[in-house]
Amino acid sequence: MGIIKDIVSPFAVWKHFFKEPVTIKDPLNRIAAPRYRGFHQNDISQCIGCGTCEAICENEAIDLVAVAQTKNGDSGLRPRVDYGRCCWCALCVDVCTTGSLKLSNAYTWVDTDGDNFRFTPGIDLKPWDSLKDGYTKAKGLELYPLERMPMQHLHAHQRDNSFIEIMKGYSKEEAMAEADRCVSCGICVAACPAHMGIPEYIKAIREDNLEKGLQIMYQTNPLVEICGRICTHKCETVCSVGHRGEPLSIRWLKRYIADQVPATDYYRVLNQDKVEKNSRKVAIVGAGPAGLSAAYYLSKLGYQITIFEKLAQAGGMMRYGIPEYRLPYDQLDKDINYILSLGVEINYNTTIGTNVTMDELHANFDIVYVATGLHEGRSTRIPGTEHANVYQAIELLRKITENKPIEVAEKIVVIGGGNVAMDITRSLARLQKQKYGKVQTIATSLETEDIMPADREEVIEAREEGAIINPGWGPREIKILNNKIQGLKVVQCISVFDENKRFNPKFDESVENFFEADMIVESIGQGMNLSFLTEKYAEQLEKDSRGRILVDTLTYQSSLPWLFFGGDIIEGPDVIHSVANGHKAAKGIDNYLNSIQK
Amino acid sequence: MFQKIIEKINLKYPIDVVSKKSDKLMFLTVHKNTAVNTVQYLKDDLGFKHLVLLTAVDFLEQGKFQLTYLLNNPDIKIDIGVRVLIERESATMESAHSLWPTIATYQRELREMFGIDFPDSPGVNDEFILEGWNNTPPYRRDFDTKAFAANFYHQRNSRENNDPSAHMKKNLYPNE
Repeated sequence: MGIIKDIVSPFAVWKHFFKEPVTIKDPLNRIAAPRYRGFHQNDISQCIGCGTCEAICENEAIDLVAVAQTKNGDSGLRPRVDYGRCCWCALCVDVCTTGSLKLSNAYTWVDTDGDNFRFTPGIDLKPWDSLKDGYTKAKGLELYPLERMPMQHLHAHQRDNSFIEIMKGYSKEEAMAEADRCVSCGICVAACPAHMGIPEYIKAIREDNLEKGLQIMYQTNPLVEICGRICTHKCETVCSVGHRGEPLSIRWLKRYIADQVPATDYYRVLNQDKVEKNSRKVAIVGAGPAGLSAAYYLSKLGYQITIFEKLAQAGGMMRYGIPEYRLPYDQLDKDINYILSLGVEINYNTTIGTNVTMDELHANFDIVYVATGLHEGRSTRIPGTEHANVYQAIELLRKITENKPIEVAEKIVVIGGGNVAMDITRSLARLQKQKYGKVQTIATSLETEDIMPADREEVIEAREEGAIINPGWGPREIKILNNKIQGLKVVQCISVFDENKRFNPKFDESVENFFEADMIVESIGQGMNLSFLTEKYAEQLEKDSRGRILVDTLTYQSSLPWLFFGGDIIEGPDVIHSVANGHKAAKGIDNYLNSIQK
Repeated sequence: MFQKIIEKINLKYPIDVVSKKSDKLMFLTVHKNTAVNTVQYLKDDLGFKHLVLLTAVDFLEQGKFQLTYLLNNPDIKIDIGVRVLIERESATMESAHSLWPTIATYQRELREMFGIDFPDSPGVNDEFILEGWNNTPPYRRDFDTKAFAANFYHQRNSRENNDPSAHMKKNLYPNE
């Protein structure tokens, strides 16, 4: 039997001859599975060089190397992968903030030079760059939440008839959770005009070391309660987490730190380097954000500071422009009082030219720093603007702060689409609600809604509070009958800027509209009033072709070496630019005086 | 199903912790001196005749190693992991090679990678994958892999390390 089996069995194998073979003819060119983790691909147009791939790589297979910066919020770095170290775990893909990094399913690469196995995906072009298959982050897998932690706030019906602060601030748990979303890349630092140490103070929140957080913030910004509430937060527009989700609430996190450290602890926490006072004297004209910032950093350098403020209280536009529901006065005072507590002298109700002259300032101080801001409202100059019931937004906002009586008509039209326009619209809406029980305020602007300069949330909240925002109209005439305002005639605005991006509005005169009103408020921008400089000094100052004072962009020194300028006069307008240029002017003043007194 | 198995084992050997992961997988933590007996009982009397693996975890902070004998019952398609904690200091465990000759290979690997001794296990002191190793066993958590690699291997030159915010400062606002 055994012999027969031995003879027959080789033939039995023949039945497999017609079967599909299980082996592969060309194993070297076998295509890998669709989600195989092979060589890296990086979409350079998406990548911002945030470096989270480098940070997460346990094998240190990724270095960030310099390439040309391509866009705003791009570090100009790109990951270079060393396949001598990479283990293809793909954590770099999972953590990638923009989703630019992928692993293709290519897996064969032969080279005789070991150094070639180190390359910058997307920059050093490779055959697998165009492959579609490979490893991408699994659906639903997120290493950090993409939604920001919402903040408790007053709803429209709770806030529309009062000036109580709307936003409540984060609790500890909320702030910790929000801080935990930060990937610590530091892309935001360049976008902040003051270059605040954002990743560091967010880290201090995670470590629950808020005093350290406060110290970090004060290195670059002495107005943190204020900026924690009303900063224009350029940082958040470039936040790497914002590329696929909502950016970090950097502004609210700053507020959280400031809110948690009581004012009585500031001196102990912040005043760690003992300052030796020197005999140098600096006069600061204007107690707004730039003047206060310069005063803080100069006094930390030992200078004797005297601020001259025209109005009865310090803060400038932060107090007299921004409504209390966005920035309560006690929080404003917390920041300001700390600066004044360092020995900064301040003379209120003091106008240069009236109470004290520029000559006196020049004679009695080493340096004069002028940061008087933009407090003169601009007019549309359309027919009817001379009527007594046509107001400037900035004047009304100032009166509301000063608690002076203002006329609140039943029907109001605000001309303007910026944040100041929203501030006066929402303030007047509140006053109407108090006086009449209903809101009849319309805000209209040249810009259509998509290009309105106001922050989006301002427009949304104004509407929630009952105001009507009707943008895209050019004001033509204020109709007056028997010396009483009837309303505002407008025509459709087709475009605001021309091809060269210059302000040059165009209208369709055939499309008219009429907004009924008893009172009109203009809010189309503010200008400066530097008449206090007097001709004697104004003439000596170098100016550009448009008449703006020229200053050194690093030191803010004018062509008169003892005279420095800052704040909204020079750039902005917003608080954080003023804080930044006040700080730079302080350093500029110190460097200048050191150089001439050597 | 698991309940019956636990009851049967409990009649013979003590179980400290029962951890049910699913209908198909359960872990039992048992005593060191009865662990191999428990494994043998599962194999010989309860049908868990297939050894899936033997592995270890280093609980450095507690000064213990945890061994896990993962067993499979092919008839009822159920896995049971038998866990046992042993002292980390001069770690020793009774060999189970009389139950499965192949377990000697796992024990040889654990000897090399964790430094756990299995006296009388065939070839337990032979090199497994490390050649000429005279350092701390590399799977022990107090072995510093990175420091070892830095000292032992050639480092590629010209590595760069750029921090995004520092790089942006250098390029965009160097003098501020």
